[in-house]
Amino acid sequence: MQNFTYHAPASLAEALALKNEDDAGTRFLAGGTDLFLAMEFAGEPVKTVVDLKKIPELTGIEELPGGGYRLGALTLMGQIEAHQGLRAQYPALVDAATVVGGPPIRNRATLGGNICNASPAADASTPLLALGAELVAVSAEGERSLPLGDFWSGPRQNALKPGELLKEVRLPALPEGGACAFERLTRSAMDIAVVNAAAAVSLDDAGNFASAQAALGAVGPVVLTVDGLGDALRGQPCSPEILEQVRKLAEAAAQPIDDKRASAEYRRDMAGVLAMRAVERAQLLARQGKGDEK
Amino acid sequence: MKSSVKLTVNGLEQEHQAEPRTSLLTFLREQCGLTGSKRGCEEGECGGCSVLLDGELVTSCLIFAVEAQGAQLVTVEGLGTPHHLSPLQEAFATDGASQCGFCIPGMLLAATNLLERNPDPNEQDIRKAISGNLCRCTGYDLIVAAISMAAELKKGARG
Ligand SMILES: Cc1cc2nc3c(=O)[nH]c(=O)nc-3n(C[C@H](O)[C@H](O)[C@H](O)COP(=O)(O)OP(=O)(O)OC[C@H]3O[C@@H](n4cnc5c(N)ncnc54)[C@H](O)[C@@H]3O)c2cc1C
Ligand code: FES
Ligand code: FES
Repeated sequence: MQNFTYHAPASLAEALALKNEDDAGTRFLAGGTDLFLAMEFAGEPVKTVVDLKKIPELTGIEELPGGGYRLGALTLMGQIEAHQGLRAQYPALVDAATVVGGPPIRNRATLGGNICNASPAADASTPLLALGAELVAVSAEGERSLPLGDFWSGPRQNALKPGELLKEVRLPALPEGGACAFERLTRSAMDIAVVNAAAAVSLDDAGNFASAQAALGAVGPVVLTVDGLGDALRGQPCSPEILEQVRKLAEAAAQPIDDKRASAEYRRDMAGVLAMRAVERAQLLARQGKGDEK
Repeated sequence: MKSSVKLTVNGLEQEHQAEPRTSLLTFLREQCGLTGSKRGCEEGECGGCSVLLDGELVTSCLIFAVEAQGAQLVTVEGLGTPHHLSPLQEAFATDGASQCGFCIPGMLLAATNLLERNPDPNEQDIRKAISGNLCRCTGYDLIVAAISMAAELKKGARG
């Protein structure tokens, strides 16, 4: 690894000023579970590393007054895993955080790093997309928010502008009668996903879908949304025919490639199956939430 | 380029010169002379380099030593001595849980961390706690049994 200068500023302003001095040559460091190896193997020309871990504004998990949550960019996978409030409302996110590496990785890996690293197989990113998360980015000029769906433009490419960093993630409140679920397929427990999928649905009083969103990981250059799902499901019961439609829409949304983990064809098939399972399980959880189990 | 990195390892202060790119694992092994933490994959996969950093189990191969400035570390050398084994080390030795031994420092730290948080773990808790530690020899069963035996020993000691 090339040598670099290391800074661990205690304030956001200082971190942003350091990044502004030489944007291209500077990397922000969160848990380092992606960056360390990227610097080791890709030989990325990094001159300056700015460690974010001492900046208080980037930490914390808080429920928002109108519902929903604010998660600081430095939130650890292990903190999400242990958070009872998140588990009750957003099991899709908690389940995804729980499968990131082993315990020592989850004690370092941050949510912000998972998102900014922009890997198409980033597990925690898939439920966030299905849940319609918003990001708050900050630069010396101030803050701006953007939908997570607009954040990734390709593998390892995100929409942060020079001098900007990711401050926090905002999870919207689930709609009335809403629930979510996460599904993942790997070759072995510790490997990264061959495909992952997450769904967020809500049901109306008759028990039919009122809304539905799903996202797929590892089947395209970025984590993808399943287009047209809400329109196809609205007002419909969760029947085998409707789940078949979920499968078709997910297969159509997938843009998989062949690699050492799986062929494109297998990935597309599994995207369909996992999306179907995620929608079905989210729908079941929504029903249980309404108190009419089965 | 080198700067001074000062931290506490197993209760003793350690201060050495290190480059920013030096991993915490290399710092421990080469600067502090503590070779109990093992250099396995250096990719965060095997857990052989696991240490407790301010009480949290982490893989020291993916951390820059400068990140641990001022931190409290525990390595396998801090758990017990050959004449005074920790209850976990005692159980691993009695139970035959160690074969080549390469994974054992990481296993012991993962298990120590588990028992600090959960003195009465079930098998699933134990398997989850060591899920970031690979062992190529034992098939894990004797390791799991040893950890659960240590939990019993500690419970007995507490009365
Ligand atoms: C053994 C192992 C197993 C793994 N298993 C999984 C897995 O199963 N699933 C999975 O999804 N991932 C996995 N990962 C990948 C990794 O742990 C996650 O993606 C993690 O969430 C990255 O977070 P981090 O804090 O370590 O990021 P870092 O490595 O610190 O940063 C990653 C990138 O994001 C940038 N960055 C970080 N934070 C910010 C910020 N706030 N603002 C702007 N830029 C920022 C950094 O500059 C860097 O480019 C694994 C990694 C290892 C080593
Ligand atoms: S050497 Fe660090 S995890 Fe393998
Ligand atoms: S005893 Fe040999 S690797 Fe575990």
